[in-house]
Amino acid sequence: MVLASLLRRRSRMIVALLAIVVGATILSGLGLIYYDVPRQMSAQFRSYGANVIFTPSDNSFMTDSEIKKAVSVFPSEKTEGYTPYRYENSKLNNLPVTLAGTDFSSVLKTSPYWHITGELPDGSGKTLVGKKLAEKFGFSAGDSFSLLNSFQVTEDTDLSGVPEYEIYTDPQTNEKFCDHMLDLRVSGILETGGSEEEYIYVTLDDLSDLMLSDRGCDIVEVSVAAREDELKGYLDKINKTSDTLTAKPVKRVTASESTVLSKLESLVLIVTVVVLALTMICVATTMMAVIAERRREIGLRKALGALDSSIVTEFLSEGIVLGAVGGIIGSVLGYLFADTVSMNVFSSSITFRPLLIPVAIIVSVTVTGLACLIPIRSAVDVDPALVLKGE
Amino acid sequence: MFFRMIIGAFRRQWKKMLMIALTVALGASIATAMLNVMLDVGDKINEELKAYGSNITVVPNSQAVISDLYDVEEEKEEYLAEETLGEFLTIFWANNITDFAPVLDTDVTVNGNDVQLVGTWFDHHFEFKKKGTVYQRDTGIINLRSWWDITDGKWLDEAKLSGDCYAMLGKKLAETLGVKSGDKIDVKGKNGTESLEIVGIFESGDDEEGCIFTTLSAAQRLSGAEGKYKKAEVSAITSPDDELAVKAARNPELLSGDEYDLWYCTAYVSSICFQIQEAIPDASARAVRQIADSEGKILEKTELLMALITLMSLIGATLGISNLVTSSVMERSAELALMKAVGAKNGQITLLVLTEIVLTSVAGAAAGYFMGYAFAQVIGQSVFSSAIEMSGMVAFLVTVLIIAVTLIGSIPAVRMILRLRPSEVLHGGH
Repeated sequence: MVLASLLRRRSRMIVALLAIVVGATILSGLGLIYYDVPRQMSAQFRSYGANVIFTPSDNSFMTDSEIKKAVSVFPSEKTEGYTPYRYENSKLNNLPVTLAGTDFSSVLKTSPYWHITGELPDGSGKTLVGKKLAEKFGFSAGDSFSLLNSFQVTEDTDLSGVPEYEIYTDPQTNEKFCDHMLDLRVSGILETGGSEEEYIYVTLDDLSDLMLSDRGCDIVEVSVAAREDELKGYLDKINKTSDTLTAKPVKRVTASESTVLSKLESLVLIVTVVVLALTMICVATTMMAVIAERRREIGLRKALGALDSSIVTEFLSEGIVLGAVGGIIGSVLGYLFADTVSMNVFSSSITFRPLLIPVAIIVSVTVTGLACLIPIRSAVDVDPALVLKGE
Repeated sequence: MFFRMIIGAFRRQWKKMLMIALTVALGASIATAMLNVMLDVGDKINEELKAYGSNITVVPNSQAVISDLYDVEEEKEEYLAEETLGEFLTIFWANNITDFAPVLDTDVTVNGNDVQLVGTWFDHHFEFKKKGTVYQRDTGIINLRSWWDITDGKWLDEAKLSGDCYAMLGKKLAETLGVKSGDKIDVKGKNGTESLEIVGIFESGDDEEGCIFTTLSAAQRLSGAEGKYKKAEVSAITSPDDELAVKAARNPELLSGDEYDLWYCTAYVSSICFQIQEAIPDASARAVRQIADSEGKILEKTELLMALITLMSLIGATLGISNLVTSSVMERSAELALMKAVGAKNGQITLLVLTEIVLTSVAGAAAGYFMGYAFAQVIGQSVFSSAIEMSGMVAFLVTVLIIAVTLIGSIPAVRMILRLRPSEVLHGGH
């Protein structure tokens, strides 16, 4: 009987169904977006660069294996990358300069904001020069220069790998000195607007060659797509297990991120709530209008002797079926919509949350049911003669 | 006759009309609220992103001459004059500069420890007179270091404290020195000694934890650089870089006249930097890429996200409205057929129905616009604690949208009914 009624009143039902589908689409679409925004946005905030740094604990060195072990504490899908840095002083044209040894293959993962004119160095013998320093020395991409590491040679000094001609003896004091050189070619000029513009970046191997020692790095920058409190858990775990390195959050990045992200989240939440509330009322008014049109039919049935309860049950179950069907269609459309939004905004697909399907169906059924109930009750309460008469 | 029929229709069918008006009002309020929020979200998020601190630094324009470099071991310190700070308030985009603070750092010793001391403004009340205009601004690093946690004591309040011998210490340094807020430390600089009272200890998670932050004037006395500063941090609300900005960043002189005007009058980080350099010829202003670039990205994503959510809500609202309008017209097939049967022309009937529906919709849309205004303010206040700016364009857009949707929803339905023969409709055979 319900099915027959649905089929018979096709056009009216299409109107009602369309209203419910629109409502359910908005419900499931906005719901999916709301749940996925923190994750997607958090990844966007990685453009601010590293949010965790590792530094050596007192009197110890960070070895590669230690760093890898510490990095593995972060879930791999959330880790954007990590970059080691080692800082040394050297001389260029007899002027002191700061050298930074790093891994160029990962550097843009932790500092995506670096502007490089030219190219990122792709191997040893190549260097990236900070813009300020380059202006000072008049370097541009393609130029070559030599760095100098001067030190006094003592008996303990390991001179393997140092050419003979770099070692000389002061004729007066008879002390031995070494001027170890490293030839470099400028691949690119680095612009950041920060202190990085005063450094010369080389590979870690080149720096070890120049300094004649491989003492590990001074700092490791890690970029992890995780919120402040989540990050704190990982950092505590690293600090507990490792005694050679200390992991710290970069407060400027983590604290500001949680401030902005929580605003964004509440924005999407309140927009979702407002739009959903309005849409649901809209669905309800449409349903009420559709049912109200059927007062004549209700009156006729009552005149033919139908019980109030049976009329209410029939209309209500009709509404519930509509609500369920609309909810299912809406969930699918909502998912498609949310996925399109996600692909357009964040270029990654949305996480499907199966729980939203039953929620969308239940909400649709409830709203439709309630919206049906009010006009049916008022129609049922009226004297059939009046309804049929058209008053 | 026409008006009597219209008024009669409203009087007789007010319940049905009210339902349509209500649905239209709901749809219009969604459209109004979402469009306004969408148009204003960029500015709002931009303000929130100021939490990351300054996006422009201003340093002295170092006239580095190679010959200068070879003879001296110690590089000559370069400074900017304190008077130049006022120029930030005179540039074209001065209103977009939310905060700025001068920085003067110098090496000092405290109890035999070498420490870096930074002189700056905390929440400085600044006044600047130029050509008869008085510019004033309360500004300082209190807003440029939103991520600092004050672990002991409080922020240095320049207005409340008398004199300038106060300091805030980084947590690491405070631990090394074994001091807490309320203590006094003797600081020996290049040019004298000052006794500074510690008002607060902060945790910042970076190198600044090992520094002393004090007032600019105290740092100037300690370093002997009276009336000078080394660097200024500027936080400005900027528009994300686009092609024009990238082109201008290479060399503003290569732009054509129109492009140059457009670039100059858009709040790109590069044009603000350019204007600062124009105002202070000795200075070089540069974008802090980490902040400026990321801001652009986050803004772009947020705006796109809001635009798509708005689009979805608009589609939903318009579908809802046209759906109901269509169904309400279809319900009236008997009435329309009767009119036709008694001799009304198609045009007359169409006009009657459309006038009724459009009047109802416009009434609903007007109510919806104010509801939408209220919703937009609820969103603005609860998320950003500030009002959402209402754009006049939105009112126009919503009106056009609602009328269009109503017409699109009703015209096909009316035409369909009129195409049928009255007798069939009245007989109920459709």
